[in-house]
Amino acid sequence: MSFRSIDVDALDEDILLPDELFAFSNGIEIDPETALNNVKSKEVEVRNLLTRGDTSNALIKAIENPPYGLFTIEAKDLNTQIVMEVLNSTKATVEFVKSLATEQQDILMKYIYRGMASPDLYNSAVLLNWHEKLTEVAGVGCIVRVITDRKAV
Amino acid sequence: MSNTLRPYLAAVRSTLTAALCLENFSSQVVERHNKPEVEARSSSEVVMNPLIISRNENEKVMIEPSVNSIRISIRIKQADEIETILCKKFTRFMMLRAENFIILRRKPIDGYSISFLITNSHTEQMYKHKLVDFIIQFMEEVDKEISEMKLSLNARARIVAESYLSQFD
Repeated sequence: MSFRSIDVDALDEDILLPDELFAFSNGIEIDPETALNNVKSKEVEVRNLLTRGDTSNALIKAIENPPYGLFTIEAKDLNTQIVMEVLNSTKATVEFVKSLATEQQDILMKYIYRGMASPDLYNSAVLLNWHEKLTEVAGVGCIVRVITDRKAV
Repeated sequence: MSNTLRPYLAAVRSTLTAALCLENFSSQVVERHNKPEVEARSSSEVVMNPLIISRNENEKVMIEPSVNSIRISIRIKQADEIETILCKKFTRFMMLRAENFIILRRKPIDGYSISFLITNSHTEQMYKHKLVDFIIQFMEEVDKEISEMKLSLNARARIVAESYLSQFD
């Protein structure tokens, strides 16, 4: 009876795979190595901006060009860490969130949810505060875009 | 303590409102079947990204949306062993009577205390905002309920111990 436990649907030739879905939503797969190097060079720039006290530009820089893709796990982790660092040192204000473009708001929301998914690493209280301000400005639509976008961070 | 409760519940509320966009959707694999896709997982295109909202390590909510159903899993605060036992008993009591709660799932997801499954037929029968209110109210009440039970349990244990030990005076 072991044939019953075989997932025959997985052998179907027109089955949809995660990488196809990723490609459908205009995601471009990049080499994990290059992605990590990009994020590393971004980290330096963000650090420089932070030491100069320019937190708003640091945040914009941190969420710029995030590493998407299904294999860029290390780069994603590092980028999340950078964004969390900036969010922790910045006060969440409605004015600042309003100044962001819609795409930037969406990416920021993705990172907020990403950070909240690991409460042992990042401070949830800060993220909840950011989430509240961002929802106030960007509305529920922003959350819907995070839910549906296959380009996860 | 309660200063993170309000933004926590607000975040859950807005995320639930966003995720509760359900429509009737028949199974793509079996003809004339209609299954909650978040449970069936028959295709990855109809299941959306799961979101986790956390207040701290011990309190979090996972929301898994799909085209015709969403699954909400709540991890209730368990500070010590008594609370763990009380939480287990309390959720078990409710889950045994899951059909009376309509949207309650009979088993929680791994790592969570209690799960709800809302399908498109639920959102057709009931108001969406009331469903959201129900979940939020449940989250508010369950913490209160468990800490109350813990207090009365401790009080009872103290009385029992006192009356038992008074024999040896």
